[in-house]
Order: sequence, then C-alpha cells, then structure tokens
Amino acid sequence: MGTFIVGSILLILVGSIIKSLIKDKKQGKSIQCGDACKNCSGHCHVK
Amino acid sequence: MKGARAMSIKIALAGNPNCGKTTLFNALTGSNQFVGNWPGVTVEKKEGKLKGHKDVTIVDLPGIYSLSPYTLEEVVARNYLLEEKPDAILNIVDGTNIERNLYLSTQLMELGIPVIMAVNMLDVLEKTGDELHIKQLSQKLGCEVIGISALKGLGIKEVAEKAVGLAKSKKIGSFKHEFDLRVENVLKAIEKKIEGEIPLKERRFFAIKLLERDEKIAAQMKKVPDLSEEIKKLEEDMEDDTESIITNERYSYISSIIGSCYKKKGQGKLTVSDKLDKVLTNRYLALPIFALIMFLVYYVSVTTVGTWATDWANEGVFGEGWSLFGLTVPGIPVLVEAGLSAIGCAAWLQGLILDGIVGGVGAVLGFVPQMLILFLFLAFLEACGYMARVAFIMDRLFRKFGLSGKSFIPMLIGSGCGVPGIMASRTIESDRDRKMTIMTTTFVPCGAKLPIIALIAGALFDGAWWVAPSAYFVGIMAIICSGIILKKTQMFAGDPAPFVMELPSYHMPTVENLLRSMWERGWSFIKKAGTIILVSSIVIWFMSYFGFVDGQFRMLEDMELGNSVLALLGSSISWLFIPLGWGDWQSAVAAITGLVAKENVVGTFGILYGFAEVAEDGSEIWGTLASSMSGLAGYSFLVFNLLCAPCFAAIGAIKREMNNTKWFWFAIGYQTVFAYLVSLCVYQWGMLLTQGTFTIGTLAALLITFLFIYLLVKPYKEGSYLERKKTMELK
Repeated sequence: MGTFIVGSILLILVGSIIKSLIKDKKQGKSIQCGDACKNCSGHCHVK
Repeated sequence: MKGARAMSIKIALAGNPNCGKTTLFNALTGSNQFVGNWPGVTVEKKEGKLKGHKDVTIVDLPGIYSLSPYTLEEVVARNYLLEEKPDAILNIVDGTNIERNLYLSTQLMELGIPVIMAVNMLDVLEKTGDELHIKQLSQKLGCEVIGISALKGLGIKEVAEKAVGLAKSKKIGSFKHEFDLRVENVLKAIEKKIEGEIPLKERRFFAIKLLERDEKIAAQMKKVPDLSEEIKKLEEDMEDDTESIITNERYSYISSIIGSCYKKKGQGKLTVSDKLDKVLTNRYLALPIFALIMFLVYYVSVTTVGTWATDWANEGVFGEGWSLFGLTVPGIPVLVEAGLSAIGCAAWLQGLILDGIVGGVGAVLGFVPQMLILFLFLAFLEACGYMARVAFIMDRLFRKFGLSGKSFIPMLIGSGCGVPGIMASRTIESDRDRKMTIMTTTFVPCGAKLPIIALIAGALFDGAWWVAPSAYFVGIMAIICSGIILKKTQMFAGDPAPFVMELPSYHMPTVENLLRSMWERGWSFIKKAGTIILVSSIVIWFMSYFGFVDGQFRMLEDMELGNSVLALLGSSISWLFIPLGWGDWQSAVAAITGLVAKENVVGTFGILYGFAEVAEDGSEIWGTLASSMSGLAGYSFLVFNLLCAPCFAAIGAIKREMNNTKWFWFAIGYQTVFAYLVSLCVYQWGMLLTQGTFTIGTLAALLITFLFIYLLVKPYKEGSYLERKKTMELK
C-alpha cells in the first residue's frame, strides 16, 4: 500500500513537471533555463 | 458606446543606455527586469502593463544613443517607433549627463509621436550640486518634462499619469528645433517630394533621414526621390557632408538649451567616478585589478564563505542533519528514508527516491549557497558600474588580436548564463567577430558550471584556494588564445571593429536590487533543479540501477552498477577519455549528461557515487568520488567540462545565432576538440611533472603544445600583405 501511495505521488509529481516542461516548450520557452526569461534578453518568445 | 472596449494604449520607453530606463520600467510595471550597466543587455524590446492601468502597455526599447542605423539596437528601436507607432514616447534622460542624452531626444521629437521627457537621477544631480531648470527645459524643448528618480521611486506616478494623459490626447508638442536656414530650405524641398507617400507628421523625420543618406529609411519607401542635386549643393555650401551638418546642428541646438537650463557646479573638477577610474581603468593597473577582483569573487564564493554554507547544505540538509538552536534537525535523506520505511515502501522505489532523486537533485541543490554568493557578487559588480569598465579594459587586450571590447560584453553576460551571452553577440556588427564571439562566449564559466567547479575544488582538492579562481581564468585564457589563433585564419581575419561606450558613473546599488538580482538567478537555478534535473536524475537512476546480469535484465545491487545500461553506454565511449585521465564510465556518462544541463554532471556523480548514503563512519559526503579520481584527473575533467560544448539550451542559441548549419557544427566541433586537447595537455603534462611518467599520451601532449604555441606566435601572412598594400597605397 505504501509503495502504491508513494509511487502514485511520484508519478503525479513527475507527470506535472513533464507537462509544465512541454507547455513551456510549446510557448517557445526554453525548458532548460529555469524560466529566468527576464535575464535572457529575448531568448524565448513568450506570448 | 455601451459594451465598447477601451482602446489599449502603448507607451514606448526610449533613452540612452544606463539612463535608468529598465529601473523605470520595473517601477512602472512591477516586473523585475535585470538592470545592467553596459550596452547589449536589452537586445529586444520588453513589454509590461502599467500598474493600475490594464489597458496601458509599456514597451522598454533597447538603450540607444540615436536613431541612426548603425547598430542593431538603433534599428530595432527605430523600426518599432516607425512601424508600430506607439501612442506616446516616454523619453528618459540621465540628468547627470543631459547634453549627450538630448541628442536622441531631438530625434524622437521629429517622429510625429507625442513625447514626454523624464529627467532621471535627480537625486544624484542634487548631491553633485548641479542645477537643472526643468520648466525652462520644457519650454525650450516644446514638450512636458518631469524630474524623477527611478531608483528612489520619486516622480514615477506623476510621469506615468502624464504619459497616459498625453497618449490619450495624442497631442504632439510644439517642437522648437529649427536647423540652419539653408538646411531648412532643403528639408522643405524634400518634404514636398515625399508628401505623396509619407504622412504629414512623419515627413520631417523622413526628410532629415533622406538628407543624411539613411539607406535603411530609403529602403522602407516605395519611391525614393532623387536628392543628389540638393545634397550636393548643401554640402558645397556648408563644406561638410550632410550627416555631419545635421549632427553639428543638433549639438548647437542642445548647447543653446543647456546654456540656459543647466548650471554645473565645480566645472573641471574630477568627480568621484573619475577619480576611481584613474585607478580602475589605469593603463597598467586595470587588468591586474580585474584579475584580483575576479579571484576574490570566486575565492570567497566557492572556497571560503561559500564552502561553509555548502558544507552545511551538503552535510547537514542533505546529510545526517544539522543543529538549529541546539536541536538536531535530521537531514533530508534521513527523513525521507525513515518516512519511506515507515510507510512500507518497496526497496526499489526507496532506491529511486533516495539514490536517484535525493541523490541527484540534492547533490546539485547542495551548491545553492555558493551560487547565491557568487550571484550576489556579480550583481554588485554589475550594478555599481564596474562591469561596464571591464569591457573597456578588455578592449585594449582584445584589440591586440583583432577583436574589440564589444566582444567581451557577451562573455560578461555569459558568466550568469551562456544563453543570453550568446544572444548578446547580436550587438556585434562585424559578422566574423560575431561568429568568433558566439564560439568563445561559453568558455567563461556560467552559473551552471559552478557546482562542477565547487565539487572538484571541494572533493578532490580539499577546498584549495586556487582551484575555483583558476577555473575562471582558464576560460578567459581559452577565449584569448582562441581569438589569437582564429584571427590568423582567413575565416576570421580583419581589423577590429571600433568600440565606443559610455562609462556610467559609479554608484552604490541598493540592497534591495542586489538581493532581488541574486534571488532571481538563484531561484531559476533551484527551479531548474526541481524540473529538468529531477527528470534527468530519474532517467539516470533507472539506467544505472537496471542492467543485464547473466543474461537477465533486472534491478542491480550497488556492487553490480558496472553491469547497468548506463555503464554499458558509458563504457562504449569512456576509452576516448583515457588520455585525459578519466577513462571510467562514470565520468564519461557524467560529462554526457552535462549536455542536458551542466548541473547534471554533479547530479550524475551524486547518483553514481551514493551522495544520499550517509556514511556511518562520518567520511566526507563526496569521499567515494575522491577515492576514485585523482586530483589531476579531476582538474582535467573540470577543464573539459568548462570548455566543451555547452548545454542543449546554449547549443540551441548557437544554432540560431549562427543561422548556418556548417558554422554551427564548426562551433560545436571547435569547442569540443579544444576542450579535449587542453584537458589532455593538462593531464599529461601534470603526470610528467608530478610523477615523471612519459607515455604516448605525453608525446601527444608535447606535439599539441608545440602546435598550439606555433599557432599563437605564427605571423599572419594576409595581415602582413594587407600592411604592405596599405603602405604602397600611401606612397
């Protein structure tokens, strides 16, 4: 039961991280820079 | 009309670099934009909503000195103003340097867009004792002028309200500047010729630009009138070219304004900034002082204060535990392990979470204190105005091998993150210089490489004082040597571009700005650890804890990691790194994972060397790594990772900026081969000098060193040909 709970939490966490990375990518943001677009002088084209 | 939406308003922020434009932008919109003190920080425009006015957008244009078409920033700003036609321009002017700033103002007022001027740094002006008569200035210019201090937040609300009011009224000021009568007559004639194509309010601007022979403006017109006769007559009449005529006229006008509106106290006396510059930009002292400052920055961030903080993070928060007001707080691995055991979590999942996630992410997060301290120092150096001088200081050195100080600006930016550094190369007009800058910018250690530096310095050199600063200087030397070598090739040969830059006055930055800048960069690092590095750690853990044993694919024990999928992949390429002293699969894999994010190198080591396992005998947290890699091999590993191809994000930026597949692969290939050869030399020479061993690797290092020296000192044939050609032409 413990494995199931921990595993589920982990899956949800990783799933949401991957989802946010994909969302950033689709918006043209870099997924590797930690979203510090303001320091980036236009690397990303945030809509 | 009922239900009609309010018209949205756009106000453009325009001004010289370092006039406080971005500080004002932050104050108006509430966004936290980075404030830098050198040109090239804002290459593209930024937008934000004005606080309290959802329908008002503020556009922060690149800092420019004029609307001439010579730099990319000028073209970007000008194109925005002409094509997107904002409802008003908020022209921010540095009150302590008003004469130079007004040059742009006179051009902005010719665009046919309502202009309001904000004279910034009034607080600094007050301290100097200089007097500026705002009302008189407004009268002379024919537009509203408001005095502000963007840093202190004075006058911000007033200027915002007035700008919105002006934008809504669309009232263009009664522009006062008239050129010499001869020039005015020509302008009238040009305006008549272009009246069919250009709207009335823009006609004067276009007429002036056409008179100055501005090709970019002419390219925007459907039909460019023939002005050769008018221009020729005016140039003969006034004995100068039209561009110089217009420039001189503007400065005469500005002088007449300044004469009546501005009174300087203590004319001719040296300011505090001037006195500091006499030392900090001194011909002989500047470079040693810069070297000393960067040495201190890295020494304090990584070796002393940073190490204390990171030891607490690594051995306390991510170790056994730490003491808080006399109470022992267990470390995260201890808590997680206890929690997972209590809940009855399966061993493999415990392994994934502890060895994979906590091991990988924790290893990276352990260096956050050092990163924060480094970012704080860099923020201070940028905000106080010193970093602007560094480009000027390096210009003297760079010019010796054909580059200009402008190429150093992307490298300064790259010390935070390589991506904006590479992007900042757009400010370099010369195509070959820009390409060379793109190729060498990532040699400067970025923030993501700092954990690697700190790891090697801490684990393998016991925190020796010289390791961290040497990593920075290895990068600088790599840039200089690459510049010398590449400039002697036909691809990159040529004279250095001229470099003119304004040195802003020194000033003490506010603690708030410093902490904000430090936290912004630090937070992005932490966020990166919690996303891309977390996901990478999970993948690396699976690949390192699953493999083939006796033909069976299963989860592996700790002593079986050599049979893992990761070991298999790593072993297939690790032989390449044997001459570099680190031919084990773990190091090879760590270097490869660094392509995703450089911090992954530390994360991978954290997983493979059991970072999360708290040693019962109290050995150092990175003891396993230290026992598997010698100091020399570790330094070679460090040099390779500092100089080789950067992370995928930076590689992507290189690809975009090169805009050519061949040049892109040349850049990546150059960086990787350069890194390989330098690391090889470091290791092999080190082995020869410390152990007296002489192998085929040593011979290779000798040959590479001789080749390197030859490439550095060889005369450039085309250079001497061009010199002879110049001499003959002069005769």
